[in-house]
Amino acid sequence: MTDAGDRPETLSRREMIAATAAALAAPLLPVPAVAAPSRDALQGRFLTPAELALLDELTELIIPADDRSPGARSAGVAAYIDGRLAESLDPEWQALWRSGLQAVDELSRELNRQAFLPATPDQRTAVLGRMAVGEPDPKTLPERFFKELKRWTVRAYYTSKIGIHVDQEYKGNVYQRGEFAGFDAT
Amino acid sequence: MTLLKVSPPLQQDVDLSQTYDAVIVGSGAAGGMAAHVLTAHGLRVLMLEAGKKLPIEQELRSMEWPYDHPRRGDAPPGSHGLSFNEYTIRKPPYAKATAFKHVYSYVGGWSGSDYVKNILVDEKDHPYTGTNYAWVRARCLGGKTNIWGRLALRLSDYDFKAKSHDGYGEDWPISYADLAPYYDKVDLYLGISGVKENLPHLPDSLFQRPTKLNYGEVKLRHSLAQTGRVLTPYRAGVTTDGLKHNRYRSKCYGRGACNRRPGGCDIHAVFDSPTGLIYPAMDTGKLTIRPNSIAYEVLVDPNTGKARGVAFLDSETRKSYEAKAKVVILAASTLESARLLLLSRSPQHPNGLGNSSGHVGHNFCEHVMGPGVTGLVKELVGKPHTLDDGRPGGFYIPRFRNLQDRQPGFIRGYGFEGSSGHTMFPRHVFDTPGFGAQFKKTVRDHAGAFISMGGFGEVLPRYESHVDLDPDVKDGWGIPVLRFHYQFSDNERKMAEDMVATGREMFEAAGIEVVGVDREVLTEGWSIHELGTARMGTDPKASVLNQFQQSHDVRNLFVVDGSSHVSASCQNPTWTIMALAWRSCEYLADEFRKGTL
Repeated sequence: MTDAGDRPETLSRREMIAATAAALAAPLLPVPAVAAPSRDALQGRFLTPAELALLDELTELIIPADDRSPGARSAGVAAYIDGRLAESLDPEWQALWRSGLQAVDELSRELNRQAFLPATPDQRTAVLGRMAVGEPDPKTLPERFFKELKRWTVRAYYTSKIGIHVDQEYKGNVYQRGEFAGFDAT
Repeated sequence: MTLLKVSPPLQQDVDLSQTYDAVIVGSGAAGGMAAHVLTAHGLRVLMLEAGKKLPIEQELRSMEWPYDHPRRGDAPPGSHGLSFNEYTIRKPPYAKATAFKHVYSYVGGWSGSDYVKNILVDEKDHPYTGTNYAWVRARCLGGKTNIWGRLALRLSDYDFKAKSHDGYGEDWPISYADLAPYYDKVDLYLGISGVKENLPHLPDSLFQRPTKLNYGEVKLRHSLAQTGRVLTPYRAGVTTDGLKHNRYRSKCYGRGACNRRPGGCDIHAVFDSPTGLIYPAMDTGKLTIRPNSIAYEVLVDPNTGKARGVAFLDSETRKSYEAKAKVVILAASTLESARLLLLSRSPQHPNGLGNSSGHVGHNFCEHVMGPGVTGLVKELVGKPHTLDDGRPGGFYIPRFRNLQDRQPGFIRGYGFEGSSGHTMFPRHVFDTPGFGAQFKKTVRDHAGAFISMGGFGEVLPRYESHVDLDPDVKDGWGIPVLRFHYQFSDNERKMAEDMVATGREMFEAAGIEVVGVDREVLTEGWSIHELGTARMGTDPKASVLNQFQQSHDVRNLFVVDGSSHVSASCQNPTWTIMALAWRSCEYLADEFRKGTL
């Protein structure tokens, strides 16, 4: 099942907003039934190249590469989130991401007098640190966006090949010899 | 390791012109067991299942890695799984006026919802009304056994004779001694793993090889033992030594990821009704299955008042049919069987079939859940990662309240289900604050170091806790829907408070640091253990069925699912449902032979 069929990938942002507004008004979204989800559906892009680059850097700051495992960038986290945004039927959710990314740049200008990506690594970390201050109880847009950003970043990372096999060294979901690990209570 | 690949014998012609010995409505644990026992006794049986025959391995894709799924297991856009919040702030029908194309119960909101989208009903076509209730329904061959939690427990005379113990409610018309031989049969036929503990309130089964406890669980077990309480490995309805008599199932080999999504075992080491009961019954040549068959009325002979068959709609063609049979057996689930009885009104049975007592739909009960604790086993932080989820479940702490003692705030009891150790997805990431290198290392170091458990408590049956037919609202097939009149009471709330306090004490006494406490009671229905609504009893004025789940009013009508339970106990009901159905169907087969039905 995919909604890519009723949303051409060439849709401009303005058309997209119009289309999603119409979708909001409709009581029932016309979703065509298709037998199986296709991976191609996820290659539709929602974010602009600039937004995607910003998201990519943010995810890597949340889960960076270290001596054990590669980080969110290598795990393709930003592209995965972008794919989910592109096929979403929830315009509110899409709008949160767009305005959230914008707010990151705005916060960076406020703190660093320049946009997020051109800033130094320390300056970028300071921006994210400011956004993370409200993690237990987010209030401002940057704080709310941090929570959403982190939630999706960790979901995407720890369900990726790198997250499962390299970072977590997960041992299951493969054929075993039939012995259960652990203490025998008998 | 050889995996059995035997095609299920599912292609059949259904002859509705003949009169079957028995027609069974429903193909879950109860319906499957009825089919097994009756065909074994030589009866010719027709089984009606409202849902589809699914190629279940293709639905569940048990070994698919999250990254091989385009949405990491999530259902496609336009599909929605209801959240706790929605169940709380809105009233059913929950899918009313929603923009989503498909709406599923909360089970569809877990990670992995794409795997259950054809198993769960779409709430849009299956509304209900009344008080808040998280009603989880699986319409497909095997029903909820395709996604069940696998905890397989026996009841004891603390449950069957609960009224004698504390004065509340009704005793069951049977005692443990009546049912024990049938629990044994279920154990041997289907396989169950566990450890003998010799507890009077949680009788042992005939166990196959148990799964093992890991470090955190053993630590808690040893600590509890000092206060006379027990933590035992999960008693799972899983064959760990194999079943020589069943060619559709393989033994568990500890693969892991058993808790990754609701149920789902492609080698069928876990019991499910199709491979455990239905396919073997079909191999006898005595069982015919008609899927896509939505029963809407039990038909009654106007002269004798006896059941003569079942009227049903084909879910695809919407055409109406009649299945004729000498005996009618309802096994459609606690709530659907009650609905079917209430729908079956006739001049002889104006209040619904088998409802001269007025008790159909009443005495509805289940388990209360939600409260629980999470702890950190500090010694495990930073330790190498191990395989801990190659088990059907973690541990179970049997009831310890109101056995010898009398609690001031509540009667009856609860047990804890829990587990510890590594899982494929490190769920504690959502509770780990911050970001960056330290965040990532903390997540990695703490993976597998947590232990958590939640209570399952007995909800008291009350006459006023009931369902009836909504006079206005109909489902997608034009059939009147259920209306709920059901809410937890003070006893459940007091018990839930005790779960939190006691869970915390248990962890602290074991030297496990409590890092999370859930206090909130989840919406009614969340346990998916709905029971009652057509209870057994000796008095036809105060019960619907006799001790053999036979209608007091209509002697060729049986209701063999959870609706017959007199009280909920705090033990998970599936094994008891099957033991009761086995016992009743042996009686049924005997009476059938004698011609008394």
